[in-house]
Amino acid sequence: MKRFVMCALLIGAMSVGSAFAGGAAEPDEVTLTIAGRDGAFGDALELATAEYSERNPDVRFEILKLSGPELLEQTVIELRGGRGAFDLVMIDDPFAPQMQEAGWLIDLEEMYDRHGVELDDDLIDNIVTLGRFPYSEDGTLYALPYVGNVSLFAYRDDIAGEYGFDALETWDDALEFARLVHENEPDMAPVLFRGVAGNPIVTGFMPIFASHGAQVLDDAGQPAFDSPEALEAVEFFLELAQYAPEGVVAYESAQVRDALLAGTGAMAIEVWPGWIGDMEDPEESEVVGLVNVAAHPRQIEPPAPLLGIWLLGIPVGSEHQEEAFDFLRFITSAEIQEKIARETGQAPTTESVHKIPDLIEQYHWYPAQLDALREGVARPRTDHWAEIESVLGDYLQQALIGDISAEEALERTQERVLEIMN
Amino acid sequence: MTSGLAPARRLRRLNMAKKASFFYLALAPAFIIVAFLTVYPLINVLYDSLFRYDFIRDTREFIGVTNFVRIAGESLFQRSFRNTVAFTASASILEVGLGVILALLFYGEFRGKRVAMTIIIFPMMISTMVISAIWQMMYHYEIGVLNYLLRMAGLYPVGWLIDTRIALSSVVLVDIWQWTPFAFLIIQAGLNSIPREYFESASIDGASYTQIVRRITLPILRSQIILVLMLRTIDTFRLFDKVYALTGGGPANATRTVSYFIYDEGFRYFNFGRASAASVYVLLFVSVLAVFYIRSMFKEGKQ
Repeated sequence: MKRFVMCALLIGAMSVGSAFAGGAAEPDEVTLTIAGRDGAFGDALELATAEYSERNPDVRFEILKLSGPELLEQTVIELRGGRGAFDLVMIDDPFAPQMQEAGWLIDLEEMYDRHGVELDDDLIDNIVTLGRFPYSEDGTLYALPYVGNVSLFAYRDDIAGEYGFDALETWDDALEFARLVHENEPDMAPVLFRGVAGNPIVTGFMPIFASHGAQVLDDAGQPAFDSPEALEAVEFFLELAQYAPEGVVAYESAQVRDALLAGTGAMAIEVWPGWIGDMEDPEESEVVGLVNVAAHPRQIEPPAPLLGIWLLGIPVGSEHQEEAFDFLRFITSAEIQEKIARETGQAPTTESVHKIPDLIEQYHWYPAQLDALREGVARPRTDHWAEIESVLGDYLQQALIGDISAEEALERTQERVLEIMN
Repeated sequence: MTSGLAPARRLRRLNMAKKASFFYLALAPAFIIVAFLTVYPLINVLYDSLFRYDFIRDTREFIGVTNFVRIAGESLFQRSFRNTVAFTASASILEVGLGVILALLFYGEFRGKRVAMTIIIFPMMISTMVISAIWQMMYHYEIGVLNYLLRMAGLYPVGWLIDTRIALSSVVLVDIWQWTPFAFLIIQAGLNSIPREYFESASIDGASYTQIVRRITLPILRSQIILVLMLRTIDTFRLFDKVYALTGGGPANATRTVSYFIYDEGFRYFNFGRASAASVYVLLFVSVLAVFYIRSMFKEGKQ
């Protein structure tokens, strides 16, 4: 009897405990979980979610602020399992096709139809396409552009002027500028870029690669690293890299940004809007009004800004798709994009925000950024992009260090990418 | 008489069988959990390694040992494997060697011993990511304290993490800094368990300190040294976090390890078949090393 009473009490206690576990929740309250990025991206998400919750008190948010690799890892594992833990996911655009092909994201066009609303035509068309699958203007829409990241080119306007350049229009101009700075400005790094193997070095190199007329994949979808244009691009990159700081192979975005803002770098072959938000803030920057942020120089081909858009999609497994859809429209609206741009410096994805006069005053590169977003090129749409980028980045860095020649780097890249793709 | 004994013996046997079945029944849950947590993943990894397994698309194509053959022939895997072996050998031997020296130094009584011990043990208690962040700053080519000191001394700065010839040694140094205290603690425990009379009588017989260490201390500590060496070898062979945080495998793959290779294949490219095949290679190599160490320890125990 005693035992029975004890057991009954224990079961009772456990039931009460489990009923109250996780805290009391209002019956109509919904919590949306967002798998997002860390750093400034995370701050922007916080800002938008706080604003949304203020207007919709029944919707709360849980934001997972993850690094790029962590986000990809957790998104893939969660979405593959389809347990519905995430209601919205941030997606780096090159990985979108894999997720869309796997059927992990809901069809947004169906949602628009069901709600009787239209896709916001203020969103820049060229980057909306990145959320479509297959990748074309006619593809089905699975994700919306949330961060208008695009790679730009930055150089010290004042120093370039001293050496007789009105603008650095071609890559040859950039090389000549680097040479002159090297000869005349001993305390200044003539050229800056991210030299870490993999994505960082490749991202900086891609505009050079494209403007030399080289391609990652040819029209038949096969690797094209064995072309004369590719060789010319790598040789040019190595020539320019001679003027980079000695420790450039360990340079990440923080080093490039810090050198640029501290006034110790004359030119960065790759900057992203998120890095330079403080450039015109005298408290953070030594170069207020001195840096020109523009589209990349041309060479054989016109400038080829590289798109690095962060998309937001709704997983099929989400139990709060309606609320998530409403929030998705909210966060990509011009009103919230403006608020985020104003307060965090994150690049907007709408046309109108790029044209707000006082924002252009704050971020003088907005016209160039808008052009780059309209004209920018996406990284190749292939399931193997992560591997290709890694292989190219490895060999490019080996060439940069001097372990192998430009020719060897491309030969090995071509060989390895062929193996990966077949 | 015999017929009277037989039922008693049968009863005893029955009791023993009952006891044995209770024993196995009691052990069963623990055995099942251990089997589920160790044997099942192993079989799963072995199974996956025989497939071209795309985790995102959830497609599997049986390809036999192709993953093993391909990976073994790839220069990146070979480089990763060589780096791992070099790291394991240098880090574990140096950590254990320094651990022995420290244990011998700390054997006697001296002023400030407790404070010194606390300071020595401290690195082991900090998270690896924090340690990596601290050393990354110290190793920084332009603003790091190490190069600052070298410049002050009129020497050239060193590319601790950016020079392909030095980067792996820099990672080894961080591991030594973090894990020598572990070797020190285990060896010190062994040293403290040796009766002091051994040393005293050897000393009375005229043996020098070096002779005592070589002929008495080290032979007695042999099994502890092998144990620490085994633990450090297994741990260093799995090196991932320090490389991830300090160098990202660079420069030019100079610090890329097998664990990093597996991580890339598994969680960046989601090629679970290739990641599993590389894991099997690691498993085999570590098993061979573990068997070697365990046999040495048993041999020592018998002696």
